[in-house]
Amino acid sequence: MISRRAALQSLGLSVTCASLPGVARMLALPEARRVAAQRPGAGPADYTLEIAPATVDLSPHHRLRTLSYNGQVPGPLLRLKANRPVSIEVTNRSDHAEIVHWHGLFLPSVIDGAVEEGSPELAPGATARYTFTPRPAGFRWYHTHTMAMNDLTRGQFSGLHGFLFIEPPDDPGRYDQEFFIALHDWEGHLLASDDGAMNPSYDVATLNGKTMGAGEPLRVKEGQRVLFHILNSSPTEVHWLALAGHTLRVVALDGNPVPAPQNVAMVRVAPAERVCAIVEMNNPGVWVLGEVRKHVQAAGMAAVVEYANRSGAPQWRQPSDLVWDYARFASPDVDTPASADTDTDAGADAGGGEADSPTPIPLVFESKFRGHGAMEAWTINGKSYPDAHAAPLRRGERYRLQFINRSKDDHPLHLHRHSFELRHLGAPLAGDARAAPRLRGILKDVVLVEAGTRTEVDFTADNPGDTLFHCHQQNHMDLGFMMLFNYA
Amino acid sequence: MPEPRLLQKYAVLLALLALSTLAHAQGNYEIQVYGAETVPENSLMVELHSNFTADGEKSTIDGVYPTNHQLHETLELTYGINSWSEVGFYVFTSEQDGHGVQWVGDHIRPRVRIPESWGWPVGVSLSMELGYQRPEYSPDTWTWEIRPIVDKSIGRWYFAFNPAIERSLHGPGTRQGYGFAPGAKLGYDFTPVVSGGLEYYADYGQIGNFAPTHAQQQQIFVVTDLNVSPKWEINLGVGVGATRSTDHLIFKAIIGRRFDWGHHSAVD
Repeated sequence: MISRRAALQSLGLSVTCASLPGVARMLALPEARRVAAQRPGAGPADYTLEIAPATVDLSPHHRLRTLSYNGQVPGPLLRLKANRPVSIEVTNRSDHAEIVHWHGLFLPSVIDGAVEEGSPELAPGATARYTFTPRPAGFRWYHTHTMAMNDLTRGQFSGLHGFLFIEPPDDPGRYDQEFFIALHDWEGHLLASDDGAMNPSYDVATLNGKTMGAGEPLRVKEGQRVLFHILNSSPTEVHWLALAGHTLRVVALDGNPVPAPQNVAMVRVAPAERVCAIVEMNNPGVWVLGEVRKHVQAAGMAAVVEYANRSGAPQWRQPSDLVWDYARFASPDVDTPASADTDTDAGADAGGGEADSPTPIPLVFESKFRGHGAMEAWTINGKSYPDAHAAPLRRGERYRLQFINRSKDDHPLHLHRHSFELRHLGAPLAGDARAAPRLRGILKDVVLVEAGTRTEVDFTADNPGDTLFHCHQQNHMDLGFMMLFNYA
Repeated sequence: MPEPRLLQKYAVLLALLALSTLAHAQGNYEIQVYGAETVPENSLMVELHSNFTADGEKSTIDGVYPTNHQLHETLELTYGINSWSEVGFYVFTSEQDGHGVQWVGDHIRPRVRIPESWGWPVGVSLSMELGYQRPEYSPDTWTWEIRPIVDKSIGRWYFAFNPAIERSLHGPGTRQGYGFAPGAKLGYDFTPVVSGGLEYYADYGQIGNFAPTHAQQQQIFVVTDLNVSPKWEINLGVGVGATRSTDHLIFKAIIGRRFDWGHHSAVD
């Protein structure tokens, strides 16, 4: 296992945030923290996860060995109820320390699942029980939060990811059937790329751990309304997904309902993003649900959607372009701030009186050249983690994160333990950010900021504790693209 | 009548001279250490090699023009067949006072590589070059070369090694069998755009019976690579010859531009 500390020191950086070695260390935590993660034994847990190596058949002809949860890729669906406490017991049977991040949940830092925030790692052979009250409702996920560095089988490059769905108290259930879809890339290797540095490239791409035709078809019936929960668990790649012969009605982004659901021909899902879309099954046949880009679909990222009593070869209709715009799903009402969780403190704060004058926090992203034979290192405001700092946040205050991407790469940016609201999207760096369309109502925890553009998001500091902010590309976060927000 | 031992000695010297002349003629048209990467599929790489011998051979030897003050312009066209193979085609020309601009010859060079997906720790490819050059520029008119290529980038450092083996198919060098003509490169990335380094070119003569040092080709170039764009290749250098049989001062430049073949949309 490559520790984040060792890796960063190898980059000539120092670490100020000590990682905790395992469960034994948990006992030394303050009382308030101990309630979050406990040793097992207090009766059966609601869910159990076992981290262990598994042999995964991506296709009948393609087998690989990877780490997984409960021997399957993706890991089991954890279906929780909002605001109802749950216990999840995790056992680490791998040969290195692991940690599970509960992505998109509003959890205390000690249980969120990032050593940078103070969450303890799980030592090899150890078991820990996590007890928490899940919120906000919606489509979340869980995944490893370890480093990979140059080992493109570790961290998010492995099979350590799974679905987590938090049912709202009043789930309207306006659909007949649902499918959870995970997009993932495998067998990465470093290749020289057009940006002048090495970047991961992949030989295999899967949908729910299978290449096209290797898994069971998604079986539907004519007239059904099918809800697709689509997760991009790829370590580094943005993906585009379409269902041939159908349109997708996007109803939620990152698990949060959008103000203006729209029909689209395809969805773009950046690493760690989720899209929920309803499809009216009104075109009987056998169809391909697949990556829009030909070379990625050819690498395997597709599945068959089969109507009842229909057979034959699956049909694909190749789109001619890639089309996606977050702004389509925004609220036309520019004066009403959004709330992810209106029955909680978070929601109450989000609509506070300072909503229109949030405190700006400019964050400039740049790469650091390390040679054509290496991956780039990354800086936020000129410094790499752990040296990158922001001023302490004040509880209850609303902030505007100004993402200024001066690099040649797009970055899926993730804020832990909070949701943020998209405000200004994709403005060219040379122009005025406010010249870009002003958005309201789209709440997310990951946003893709394209190269050479500026995006602004607002969030309320309503969940005290260390809060990690990072690019969700595994190689970028490994090489410095992280920052810790502290609450005053 | 000369003694047999003396005849043998003359014969060896004559052969070495022919070999070194051959190496002059070939090497000074395309002075390049190959990297393992091949041209991307359905792409065409157009390169112009410009080499000027500022201080070279000043005598005509066995009808072969002297290299001194020759300007060699070589057009190299390389087409990427798939993700692991390419084929290159060369047109050699020479310009020199008293001779004007002359066509020298053509070569064809297919190449295959180990795919990146195999996960080898180094890049590996293998090229084979076959071609003709006019006798005024090389006593050996038909030549063949096989060139294994190994390279590796580690951080800012780059290393490439080309242990080429060549053979004359027609001409006095035919009797020499297989010759060893390695090339190597060590580079360092000063910035994303500017890399600098050393390139080494040699021709040791016949495998198993290397020529004496003074008859070998030994050249060192100080070079810079300018990585201004993924579509452009710029390599500039100045080289010195370390032996009597090597041209003593050569300036070289390679300007290359990659063209994608056909229309590529965002969904390709």
